[in-house]
Amino acid sequence: MKPLRLLIGRAVEALLVVVALASLVFFALRLLPGDPARLVLGDEASAADLARVRATLHLDEPLLVQYVRFLRGLATLDLGDSFRRPGTSAMARVGDALGPTAELASLAVGIGALLGIAAAVAASGPWLSPRGRTWVERALVGVAAAPLVAFAPVLTWGLAARARLVPLPGDPDAGFAGLLFASALLALPLAAHVGRIARASLAEVSRAPFLTVASAKGAAPLRVWLVHALPAVVGPIVTTVATQLGALLGGAVVLERMFERWGLGTLILEAYSTRDLPVLEGAVVAAGLLFVGAQALGTAAHLAIDPRARSGS
Amino acid sequence: MSARTQRARALHLLPLLVILVASGVGAALAAGPAGRLDPARAWCEPSAARPLGCGEAGVDLMPLVASAELGAIALAVVVALVGFAVGTPLGAAAALARGRFERAVDRACDLVQAFPSFILALAVLSAVRAPSRVHIGVVFALTAWAPFTRLALAQTRVLRDAPFVEAAVALGRSRVGVLVRHVVPNLLGVVAVQLGSTGAAIVVSEAALAFVGLGPRDGVSLGGVLDQGVAAMLRAPHVLVVGAVAVFVTSAAMLVAGRAAER
Repeated sequence: MKPLRLLIGRAVEALLVVVALASLVFFALRLLPGDPARLVLGDEASAADLARVRATLHLDEPLLVQYVRFLRGLATLDLGDSFRRPGTSAMARVGDALGPTAELASLAVGIGALLGIAAAVAASGPWLSPRGRTWVERALVGVAAAPLVAFAPVLTWGLAARARLVPLPGDPDAGFAGLLFASALLALPLAAHVGRIARASLAEVSRAPFLTVASAKGAAPLRVWLVHALPAVVGPIVTTVATQLGALLGGAVVLERMFERWGLGTLILEAYSTRDLPVLEGAVVAAGLLFVGAQALGTAAHLAIDPRARSGS
Repeated sequence: MSARTQRARALHLLPLLVILVASGVGAALAAGPAGRLDPARAWCEPSAARPLGCGEAGVDLMPLVASAELGAIALAVVVALVGFAVGTPLGAAAALARGRFERAVDRACDLVQAFPSFILALAVLSAVRAPSRVHIGVVFALTAWAPFTRLALAQTRVLRDAPFVEAAVALGRSRVGVLVRHVVPNLLGVVAVQLGSTGAAIVVSEAALAFVGLGPRDGVSLGGVLDQGVAAMLRAPHVLVVGAVAVFVTSAAMLVAGRAAER
């Protein structure tokens, strides 16, 4: 029963954080100086228009009543209609945008994890000279420190605009190759983080007796590292991916803006510039739920692969 | 500590100092204020008069990048120090209190560090009409405490069983007294290393916010330069390169500077 309880406990904790952060956004929009209705309509709005907006957004009610309504909306995932597209619910617009972003982010997680693990295994096994290993490690440190917002435009300029090796992901005809290129950009920092953690964890288990036994029984080095050593370090890898997920979503916003690709990031920026408050709140909640789901998935994967985690030691 | 290790530590501050001095000189040498437009020179290439070239509508990139760097470093230093000042005592107090409070703070750090804080920043910033540097700093400070708290927590777990802490407790010092006099001073060296990585993260986040259009009102931000560079990728690639190198160098210098606090 213990793993299940752990899983539920983690999910409840993460949900509490999402509620707390959504509440922060709620109160920031209402308590900071400045009238949200004026933010929506601008300075030239007439008193009647302002009153109408306040009524639509329930800003004329006491704060506590608004908050209860907001919490009820959170629980039922119904935060009211999008302010700029009356008749469409805010959550529906968010759900609409979530697909492309999830596509981009999940592909990036896959590529990042694979690249990172490959680099770590390459640096741990007997294939490279000590010098080569040091270079792989240095490259991992360098890439991990490189900010996406700086290197993604430069790589795009070099690879897509100048050399034309890859299509521009914003191009409607780019198709899967464009998506792959965008995900690979997003995956690079994640790959470096995964690579560093996996390399350090593999170094820890490298002298473990079970690896010696596997080698003595005649397993090839690749088999020793992939089949025997890797499962023992899944925990740290999964934790790294889970902690990098927030940064990954932030990176997705930057890339979507850069490539003018539709997704959660473009929706948030659009909702920001038009002050579509229900959509903004909904987007934060959706990002939060995505994050809760990923944390739970990470914990579950760790529990499934590593028996030590199941026994609670 | 020997004079040599002290010198080696001070050396870590050098890249940041070089950037600060270069930016100060760059901003001072400029003919006009950062961001002045000169449409006749739009997208002009680097030359002797304009060492970094021009951007959109002929804005001279050198003073723009110099002031943007100074602004970004100031923001990063202030926010990192606030995170340090709030996070360190919180983590130490949590570890001294043990039990439920300790576990709650520990998990809160995990979750806040993993949360998509960039998206949170976008949402909170929409509450103000045009975000200023102060607004941006406050939003970053909302999550900047977490790494400091986590480090302080881990380090205090070791310290709380140290003989001198036990002695202080046995002599009847209050919890706050133990925390302030005995635990926090011993944490500073370890936790201060985080200042560099938090500072670097803030330089990058500020650029990313400005890149997606939420920069400070005056448009003086490294992200703004990158945004211009992307828009004119084919016509004037030097703008993109200048922006990218500036972000990279500034964040790397912050990272290296953090190591000056290392023991």
